[in-house]
Order: sequence, then C-alpha cells, then structure tokens
Amino acid sequence: MTMFEPGRICIKIAGRDAGRKCVVVEAEKDSMVLVDGETRRRKCNVRHLEPLDQTVSIKAGASHADVITAFKKLGVELRDTKAKKAAARPRRVHKQKTPKEEPAKPVKKAKGEPVKQASPEPAKESPKPHPITAEVTKEPVGETVAAPKEGPAKPEPSAKPTEKPTPKKPVKKAAM
Amino acid sequence: MVEGKFKSGRFARKHVKVSGGRTVLRFEERTPRQPHCSGCGRVLPGIPRMSGAEAKNSPKTTKRPERPYGGVLCSACMRAKIIEQAQ
Repeated sequence: MTMFEPGRICIKIAGRDAGRKCVVVEAEKDSMVLVDGETRRRKCNVRHLEPLDQTVSIKAGASHADVITAFKKLGVELRDTKAKKAAARPRRVHKQKTPKEEPAKPVKKAKGEPVKQASPEPAKESPKPHPITAEVTKEPVGETVAAPKEGPAKPEPSAKPTEKPTPKKPVKKAAM
Repeated sequence: MVEGKFKSGRFARKHVKVSGGRTVLRFEERTPRQPHCSGCGRVLPGIPRMSGAEAKNSPKTTKRPERPYGGVLCSACMRAKIIEQAQ
C-alpha cells in the first residue's frame, strides 16, 4: 500500500504547477499517477509530489467535476478554465470571375407537344455616349478650317470707335 | 579624448588589433554576471546572459524558468521552500 492512492491530497513540487494542490485520481503503472485539482489533469511522477495528510473521497478515475466538488468540501475553489477558441482570422476575399452566360438550352418536351422556341433576347440599347466625348464630336470641323481662309477681319470704316476728348486739367501756376 | 561615459567603468576596455597593424582601444558593453540562487548560491541554469536591448526585446519566458521562484531559486531550494510552506 503506497501513499499515493486515489483521493490523496498532494502538493506539486516541480514544474510550472509547483506549489499547487492536487489529488491523486488514479494510480498508473510504476511511479506514475494521474492527478487533478488546482493543477492541470495530467500524469505525474510521484517524485514530483509531496503527499499531505488530507484525503478526499473520490473513486479511482473520477471525473474533473467530481474533483471540483471534492475540493469544495475542503474549502478550495477550483477555477474551471476552458480553452480559448481561436478567433476567426480575417481572410482576403478574392474576386470571383463571373461565369459566362451560356446559351439557353432547348427544353426537351414530350412527343406531340409543339416545341417552343426560346424567346429572342430583347435588343440591347446602344450605350449612351459620354457627355464629354459627345461635345467634342459635335464641334463642326468645317467652320474651324474655313476661318483662316478669310483672313483677319477688317473693321469697317464706319465702325471706328470715336474717342471722347479728355478734359484738360487746369495747370497750376507756381507761386512766385 | 574619450567621452565621459567611457571613463565611468561601465564599459569594458578591450585592445583590438585592427587590419592596419595598429592596436586600438575599444569600449564594449560588459556582459552581466551569471545569476545565482539566493538560497544556496549555485549558478542558476537556463538564464541567458544578455543585457540592454537584447534582453528587452526577448520574451519573458526565455529569460527565466517558468515555475515559482524561477530565476531566483534553484529547483532544489524551491522544492524545499514549498514543502516548508505546506507543513
């Protein structure tokens, strides 16, 4: 009869769980035991455990829930931690190529019935011309070419601008 | 004339032979001394000797063992301390 029977409270003295209380759940072969409690539920060498004089009443191979209730009786609250779920990684959304429109297949009908032909597609409207390009094309080419032939427009003699006589300012005589 | 910071003793003086044949004095940052167990004085294994930016930029888990009193006590002293606390 060893010290490390199921239900024996121990303290882990090695590893990252050192200093935490645990209970022997099941004795494995050789010097290995299964422990659970404040530590992680895992196999452990008895050389890494320090047995205490306390025991709890659990069956061999008890579940983690049973260990939690057994520790509650001792006055030790166990944290029931759950593994964190990995957050969904943002992924790039690739542009999907739109599948080409396949021509409508003729629907097979039973013999005797007249085969309806697929209705012709409505005529596509011609695309509207771009407003800027449309203005450029509308410009008459002939006018621009004909203008230089005429030469510079001479002003008519009757249309000469009449200059208004500017009133002469009185010249101040210098005081002697 | 050396800078004032090199006169404080913080930097180690090293005579380096350069490619021209001369021997010049170089000032290098000292490596920190090895950490020792505060219980028995044994050199603590598993702790790299790095200082400055190298230590600052390395993760915490690489700089000391991940157990209670890691980086302060050796494993034997830690066990003794935990057993002492439990009794």
